[in-house]
Amino acid sequence: MFSMETYFLKHEDILGFYERIDQEYQLLVPTKITAPLALKCESGINLPTDDYLLKHYSQLKKEEVAFNDYRCVEPIRTYFTHFKEEVCSYFPNDEKQETQTKPFAISGVKNCDLFSLKIQDFVFLGGNEPDTLYTQRREGALIISSDCPHFKEACFCRAFGIDPYPQEGFDFNLSALTHGYLVDVGSPKAKSLVQALKEILVPATSGQLSGRATKRDGVVKHLDEHLLYHKIPAKETLQDIVRHGFDSSLWQEQIQTCVECGGCVFMCDTCHCFLLADQPEGENAKRIRIWDGCLYKNFTRVAGGANPLKMRYMRLRNRYLKKFDFFIDTIGYQACCGCGRCIEVCPGRIDIRHILRRLYEEKNLQVKESA
Amino acid sequence: MNKMSTSSHTEKNIYQPFEATVVDIKEETPTIKTVVLKIRSNFSFRTGQFIEMTVPGLGEAPFTPSSDPGVKTSIEVTIMKVGMVTEKIHGLQKEDTVGIRGPYGKGYPLDKFKGKDVVIVGGGVGLAPLRSLLLSLFSDIDNYRSICLRYGARTPADVIYKELLPEWAKKKKVDVVTTVDIGDPSWKGNVGLVTTILKDLPVDMKQAVAVVCGPPIMMKFVTLKLLDIGFKPADIYLSMEKSMSCGVGKCGHCRVGKFYACKDGPVFTYEELKDIHDIWD
Repeated sequence: MFSMETYFLKHEDILGFYERIDQEYQLLVPTKITAPLALKCESGINLPTDDYLLKHYSQLKKEEVAFNDYRCVEPIRTYFTHFKEEVCSYFPNDEKQETQTKPFAISGVKNCDLFSLKIQDFVFLGGNEPDTLYTQRREGALIISSDCPHFKEACFCRAFGIDPYPQEGFDFNLSALTHGYLVDVGSPKAKSLVQALKEILVPATSGQLSGRATKRDGVVKHLDEHLLYHKIPAKETLQDIVRHGFDSSLWQEQIQTCVECGGCVFMCDTCHCFLLADQPEGENAKRIRIWDGCLYKNFTRVAGGANPLKMRYMRLRNRYLKKFDFFIDTIGYQACCGCGRCIEVCPGRIDIRHILRRLYEEKNLQVKESA
Repeated sequence: MNKMSTSSHTEKNIYQPFEATVVDIKEETPTIKTVVLKIRSNFSFRTGQFIEMTVPGLGEAPFTPSSDPGVKTSIEVTIMKVGMVTEKIHGLQKEDTVGIRGPYGKGYPLDKFKGKDVVIVGGGVGLAPLRSLLLSLFSDIDNYRSICLRYGARTPADVIYKELLPEWAKKKKVDVVTTVDIGDPSWKGNVGLVTTILKDLPVDMKQAVAVVCGPPIMMKFVTLKLLDIGFKPADIYLSMEKSMSCGVGKCGHCRVGKFYACKDGPVFTYEELKDIHDIWD
């Protein structure tokens, strides 16, 4: 059993920490994108609107390296299965071995992202047929997660009992304190780097640890206040309400503004569907894996013409059944981490929080009527 | 860009097809052909499992082999021309190379059929996977009470395995009845939907199972008919046709309730499916 150690890292040493990691890994770190317009928040709580995007540390100026207060724009899965990539070539089968490149490290991963990685792991590492590319990247990657000192309007992790600070599933975790960071060392892989960082890492004091606990409690309290406004049903009710809502008119009502852009599925960190497509390449051919999405018209269409999800409302409903029925049946928890990326990306303003609340209300209203 | 796994040579790339050579092509109907493939020696499949067949540079599609799994040197796949990949397959010539991945899925649970009357109901090209099942049953016929094949096609021209059907009918313990939805002057047999030849099956309902494969609408009405004549939902085996890309439960296309047709099926009992919405669509 690996026992976690926690160190303190001074603010001015964070670049030294990154520098050291970038020697062994291709390090990605968050940079800030300032939002030009302030967003009016319906819950009445004043919330930040800036965004963060991951970029290669080696290509950034030092002042561009940021600590992200909440999750980055892009779903973390994009580093483990690329949007479009070659998975093999044939014939003859490509036996070439890739020249060993440095594995990557990602800083700025949040607890919602770590929850999503559990879903991706289940899909791509699970079963008798693990995906080799995913396995290779997942085993090679160094995950540097961090606590969220703030949250965005769309954040709702706590609605599903996911805390805005990681406690497992990372190699390093950073918690920002006033004068520096607490650094949790969460894996043997991370521990092997500590020796080389010993000049900047000092054991954390109990005062620092309790300071972190107070900060974490503060963020949770603040986020819970925000979520009170949205009345998102508890995770224990999710499977029931989506099943009960199968014949609800809600799906048809909510799909009205959908333009089938696929934004919700591509920005989703727990979505995993893909399509294999082949292309000729000289005498050879290559096989490409491309992310696919169940909101698209031909997602379930077979060559013979049958399509179980021919209407748009069926596809919206299918997305919820997959996330809140299939996954709860299959692995015991929902395929939604509450990151809110689908809410922010949707040009039709289709809001998962709203749909879940409505499903909950419909079920309970009907139960009351029949009682 | 990462291209292939570097972890080890032994680790299998699940998307990689292996080569197979076309050794024969038989025309079954104007839109259906049976392709005979010579494959590498260590490939084998259980009846009812499916493969992904690649047309190099174009793409792949799922098919259940129609040949006897006992034959190890080649497989046969009976394919209807319905889309981009199948159209190219229909244009294949002898000696052409295709790709194969698989086999995938669970296949028919032959153990559960042992000692029973096995009613096999096929519609159109849906007889293809059932032929593989029939050949498996024939090769071990002493272990089954009887085999009762009921086959329907749209018109006489759409009937596949025209030469094989009369041969099968001559086998011991095998009863074959065919029908067409719309007859023509040359057709002397039954005319009507396949459900019309499911009356008075020469089987003991207490120890019979039914296996159905065909277009979705046919599967629906055959299932309802079978229930009507006394089959239990757990004794009706259905081949679910779903969009499948990866074959290994990752790409997400073939979800049916809590199942993926590719890894949990493609054969399901009606008992497993009956509470799932819209299974016939």
